[in-house]
Amino acid sequence: MAPPIPREGPMLGRRTLLLGAAAGLAALGLASCASPGAANGAIPLKFWHLLSGGDGRTMAELVARANAANPSFDVTQTVLTWGPPYYTKLAMASAGGRAPDLAVMHAARLPGYAPGGLLDPWDLDLLAEFGVRREDFGDRVWESGLYDGDVYSIALDSHPFILFYNTDHAAAAGLMEGERMRQPRDADDFLDMVTAMKEASGGSGLSYGYVNDGAQMWRLWYTLYLQQGGVMELPIGGKARIDDGPAVEAFRFMQELVDESRGVPNADIQTALAEFISGDSGMLLSGVWELPSLQAAGIPIDAMPIPNLYGTPAAYADSHAFVLPHQNDVDEDARREVYRFVAAILKDSFDWAGAGHVPAYLPVTEDPAYADLIPQAHYAEVSDIINYDPPAWFTGSGSDFQSLFAENLQPVLLAGADPQAGIDRFRSAVDELLSKPNPV
Amino acid sequence: MTTTAPARRTAAAPTSTPRPKPRRRDGLAGWGFFAPFGVLFAVFMLWPIGHGIYLSFTDQSLTGSGGGFIGFANYLEAFGEAEMWQSIGNTLWFTLLSTVPLVVIALIMALLVEQGLPGKWLWRLAFFMPYLLASTVVSLIWIWLFTPQLGAINTVLTGIGLPAQPWLQDPSLSMVSIVIATVWWTVGFNFLLYIAAIQGIPEQHYEAASLDGAGKWRQLFSITLPQLAPTTVVVVILQVLASLKVFDQIYQMMNQVVTPSTQSAIVYIFDAGFTGYRFGYASAVSYIFFAVVLLVSLVQFRITARKGA
Amino acid sequence: MAIVTAPRASVREDSIRRPGKPGEKRFGLGRIVAFAILILLAVTWLLPIAWAVATSLQTEADAGSAPVSWVGETGVTFAAYAKLLAEGNVPLWAVNSVLSSVAITLITVGTSAMAAYAFSRLDFRGRKWLYAISIASIMVPPQVLIIPLYYQMLAFNMVDTYWGLILPQVIAPAMVFILKKFFDQLPVELEEAARVDGATRLRVFWSIVLPLSRPILAAVSIFVFIGAWNNFLWPFLVINDTTLMTLPVGLQTVKSAFGVQYAENMAMSILAALPLIVLFLFFQRQIIKGIATTGFGGT
Repeated sequence: MAPPIPREGPMLGRRTLLLGAAAGLAALGLASCASPGAANGAIPLKFWHLLSGGDGRTMAELVARANAANPSFDVTQTVLTWGPPYYTKLAMASAGGRAPDLAVMHAARLPGYAPGGLLDPWDLDLLAEFGVRREDFGDRVWESGLYDGDVYSIALDSHPFILFYNTDHAAAAGLMEGERMRQPRDADDFLDMVTAMKEASGGSGLSYGYVNDGAQMWRLWYTLYLQQGGVMELPIGGKARIDDGPAVEAFRFMQELVDESRGVPNADIQTALAEFISGDSGMLLSGVWELPSLQAAGIPIDAMPIPNLYGTPAAYADSHAFVLPHQNDVDEDARREVYRFVAAILKDSFDWAGAGHVPAYLPVTEDPAYADLIPQAHYAEVSDIINYDPPAWFTGSGSDFQSLFAENLQPVLLAGADPQAGIDRFRSAVDELLSKPNPV
Repeated sequence: MTTTAPARRTAAAPTSTPRPKPRRRDGLAGWGFFAPFGVLFAVFMLWPIGHGIYLSFTDQSLTGSGGGFIGFANYLEAFGEAEMWQSIGNTLWFTLLSTVPLVVIALIMALLVEQGLPGKWLWRLAFFMPYLLASTVVSLIWIWLFTPQLGAINTVLTGIGLPAQPWLQDPSLSMVSIVIATVWWTVGFNFLLYIAAIQGIPEQHYEAASLDGAGKWRQLFSITLPQLAPTTVVVVILQVLASLKVFDQIYQMMNQVVTPSTQSAIVYIFDAGFTGYRFGYASAVSYIFFAVVLLVSLVQFRITARKGA
Repeated sequence: MAIVTAPRASVREDSIRRPGKPGEKRFGLGRIVAFAILILLAVTWLLPIAWAVATSLQTEADAGSAPVSWVGETGVTFAAYAKLLAEGNVPLWAVNSVLSSVAITLITVGTSAMAAYAFSRLDFRGRKWLYAISIASIMVPPQVLIIPLYYQMLAFNMVDTYWGLILPQVIAPAMVFILKKFFDQLPVELEEAARVDGATRLRVFWSIVLPLSRPILAAVSIFVFIGAWNNFLWPFLVINDTTLMTLPVGLQTVKSAFGVQYAENMAMSILAALPLIVLFLFFQRQIIKGIATTGFGGT
């Protein structure tokens, strides 16, 4: 049935024209959806991830190399918007049963996925067939992929929150010991170092962007909290354990850190980055993933784990990890190729270090070439002391938990509000989440 | 309530025969004609409505777990949830902020275009074209316009010596920014409804008025606007209903990470159901929100009914 | 309530109506002011699209570096468009959009017209009730049904299928209402004559009623098509597979691996908007009429 458009003489010509245009468009689309890999027997695999920018570029190269080296599969990567939208879509796709063959997740998000059957566990025997074994990963990194005794994610990396510094300013401030900046003795000593940096840089001593960014606040605070031996436990149906002493002290320190006398007191992440990149700041607190843009700026930088200010070595991190989204009808041949692809990427993940991340696959970081990679080699040791978010279905990168943290505690840093009151509010908000049934 | 609007225009059809009386029972044919729509309607409308009510009394999860009957727990939780009330408050606020300009600007546009100035098709194109764009396209364009450093709007602002604004980033500004984009996007629809209504005003009214020596302004206030009153009622009702359902622009322009100050009711339902997996709870909120929509409609109906009396 | 096809309600193309009074033809002060405001408004409304087009014709480097301008330093380039068309996602999504929108329009208009005819002309048991229920459901915003509908898609195994994309979008009680009102006003004599000659109901509907209803069917089709083409929420929910996405969903969901690409984003927007804008340029009168006659009934 033709679209019932009122009859009018001159319309006919236009309609024909439009139909022709539509047909042309359709042909264009059909032509372009023929997969190049299908012709030579490669199994097409769908791979979802949330990596863009420098990460995305590097991943695209790794995928292209793996495709070229392995004629048996043809991986197509799809990049989705980072954060909650990605996890929402991934869960919906898994629940729908026609999920992509492989996806990248943050390891800390596992408790929100694995119990609900949204993910399929990895078969370690099959993985070993392609040369990837338990021993190839550090303990903390490996354990981040476990849930209830099964392995649900295979880490590609760990990406800790670290300290970047400008080596020229550090030298001018007299903070260098040989090639690297010296370790502070304690928290107060670190504050003094920041002050010295401020004089040397003529701008800020330290740049820390946190405004409207729960993740940034959480990463630093949790590091400092753990360094004081603080423990956080989130038992579903129970009450959260958050230790007041370390919690408040961490905030007291952070208030000092963002004090006007040391830097820009209310910076967001863009401001902090811009300041450090333009050489107007001595140090930058941020994630390793900022490394490529810092290097591209051509400033003299080095990096180190967040200094141990309170006695217990600890660092916040998360991992990009490979997961198998649940499929209703698993094609065993395709699964096998997924394993082959993951093994290929892991073994080739030296370049992933170029994006700043610490590769999880130990043979890569143990390679002598890695020791020459500066500043990556200067913070690789951090993977032994990393801590993921306290496990719960609502925690992990880009989760509600981190925005809840910002909601309750941003005023402490931004407006000098009382840390204890903020902690109390945060605790009761978390308790409320814990009192809700686990929806997974 | 959509059936209550003035029906006075419906008279003019090809010929107005009195409504045909169904002659005989034609049961089979009747059901046969109704069936295709009826089946789809039952399966994709009635069943979800009923099943949603059932879901709202369970702890069903997106992942398939749960599903047990838990009584009114979801409703009680929702009633006690500040965030839910805030999302409904935001929705009402957005509705108010958007409806006023969407009606007033549309009316002004229609009145100006119907002055008979040259280039009618161009005006119509300009005002109506945005309505043809998908929400995604509108959001992409406005995110780009609102971009803090590179955005055209801030470039213009700083160019004339005004401070740049963090349009979408500042929680106190983001709702206004979304309203601006929304007005740009959908005003064309109301504009067209007004155009149709203005052209429906009988010419004789104006002829009589100008014979009486009434000037243009007099005619505007004594003829055009009163004649448009019924249309305005309908436009406002439709606009309020449309604005209450806001989801797309907010979800997209906030980069899919909605802050408390912009979260609308539908966004809240989406978040609870698909990000939080809580289908039971999200269903309960859906029905609470539906009740709010009915309530708003009822209030509007009351107001317009009283005005009409 | 629908302002159903009263010929008055249609928008006239070129009759200059309002100032049809002597002495008003000159450009008085009022008209100049009106003209100025109109131009200002029109420019304001066209600028965002013009700016999007301008950005889409720049290189990424030009588009992403301050100060932004209408034309990039390296001049005008169609690189962003070429890249999008070559990579395949956008043409693929366009095909999905065309297929699903056409299917939704045909099914919606077809089933609605049949049901409306039944309600208007046929006497059958339960008619009043069915009509009342159908019309009452106009009040239910489709958005509040996303949860149970999605659950249903899971149960029917329809997530990530064309069926799941199309079928939940074809129920339009408001269109049934509009069409019934129209059928009510059609003269019944022709149909009765045909019935006497032995034509079946279906025959009468197909050969007499539908042809007489062309204008309203066109209006409803246009309205439904625009809605389907631009719909976001439902396709966004039910489609995760990137090869099945429609244009609005694909644009929103799939990102470039290389970070934000302003020129590419704008080129995608323009490509997605183009089909309807071209249709509008060709069928301006029909589309405006369609919206004006259907708009009051559709919610």
